Amino acid sequence: MTLNLNPLVILLIFPGGLFLIVAGLAYEYVDRKLVARFQNRIGPRWFQPLADLLKLLSKEEITPRGVQRDLFYLLPLFALASTLTASLYVPMAGLTPAYAFQGDLIVTIYLLSVLTLSMGLAGASTVDRFALVGATRTLTQLFSYEAPFMLALLGPAIAAQTWQIRTINEYAGQNLWLMIAQPIGFLVALLGLMGKLELPPFDAPEAETEIVAGALTEYSGRGLALFRLSKDIELVIGLTLVAAFYLGGIHSPLDFLIKTLGLLLVVALLQTLFARLRIDQVVGLWWRIGTILVVIQLIAIVIGRYIGSSIF
Amino acid sequence: MGDKDNKGIGFLDKIRTWARVNSPWALHYNSGSCNGCDIEILATLTPRFDVERFGIKLQGSPRHADVLICTGPVTLQSRDRLRRIYEQMPEPKFVVVVGSCGISGGVFQGCYNVLGGIEKVIPVDMYIPGCPPKPEAIIFGIVQLLEALKAGRKPDPVLIMPETQLESKV
Repeated sequence: MTLNLNPLVILLIFPGGLFLIVAGLAYEYVDRKLVARFQNRIGPRWFQPLADLLKLLSKEEITPRGVQRDLFYLLPLFALASTLTASLYVPMAGLTPAYAFQGDLIVTIYLLSVLTLSMGLAGASTVDRFALVGATRTLTQLFSYEAPFMLALLGPAIAAQTWQIRTINEYAGQNLWLMIAQPIGFLVALLGLMGKLELPPFDAPEAETEIVAGALTEYSGRGLALFRLSKDIELVIGLTLVAAFYLGGIHSPLDFLIKTLGLLLVVALLQTLFARLRIDQVVGLWWRIGTILVVIQLIAIVIGRYIGSSIF
Repeated sequence: MGDKDNKGIGFLDKIRTWARVNSPWALHYNSGSCNGCDIEILATLTPRFDVERFGIKLQGSPRHADVLICTGPVTLQSRDRLRRIYEQMPEPKFVVVVGSCGISGGVFQGCYNVLGGIEKVIPVDMYIPGCPPKPEAIIFGIVQLLEALKAGRKPDPVLIMPETQLESKV
């Protein structure tokens, strides 16, 4: 499905602005509700993420002593802007991406990393010890999952022989679901997404039992609200990306809903199932197991292409 | 208690009050309690009572919290910490005291190292009596605070048991 929209509409309403904010809040609600149900609780009400966001926006914003003022106020905006921009190249709601060029997969992956990077810098720009430890952990985790996550998204790109998300999406729709053809890549991509969003078991950077609230300890009010919102939006975009690559592409709004919510169910289940990993365990998991498995699969794909047999 | 003067005026204020009432994030501080009340607070946060239904979430950082839940009398050691945590919280902020000791000093009243109730150090919005109060009582107290916030006034004292019944028991 293609939709011709005014560039301003694309940026402000769909898929860039308002739609993503609403979708992000809705997906956060679904995630929290699912986790609550898995834990045998009733869970939050449907407007809970909206109430949290509005409350944080209307709260006082404290500037802690010793903080880099400009960075402190700009980083939340920076994080939100880059996550919103990433949606332009992704088939949001099953429609063709608003913009596409050769290599937009790489740009999208980098835009999605900006959130983590901003959070790391935000923690490092304060003098609070918990924020500093949180920032170190955030950046350590970034370096551990980023390579396997990228390699996992590389698999479908090599299979489709393009760096364009739009073309990969079409390729995935015409062939066998890549989840079955490249199961390791799917698993690593999904876990990489959880690492990106710092969901349990990869929530060592914001472990509230050890380091208060991680890199965002010193944020109150607006900054915290924007960081939370960017995280919600990144959840939607990440789920869309993984579904488009590994679950046979996204070709209609219904397709989008079923596939992303199905993935969200799995993500919520994994969140409930596993306890928090220590930061060294996270790094070990990604570099010792994740990366090696993905590299093996990548070599298999390349060899398969050379031989010309259809292992996909 | 940030904007008490312009209560309920205008659409934006209404939205702000609505958001505030529906998303009270809590911070828990023990300023010298015997841990009885803390155990009851932790019990309140378990899936059995599930306070996420009301939007209540326990936060680690004072910067993220709206409601400071205090237990125990204030000891000389914890006085400065309590005040600092209160000052670290962004406006609007509310303080709920759980347990008899936080109200008056309780059994620790008159100890050489005890100042007395929480109100000697920071302003308190809500008291929940009991030694320790049950999780139901804590939830009831928080809901009273939220109801008062919604109406833009201070929480009223609530008598759970009618006075006539109380006298007959005594």
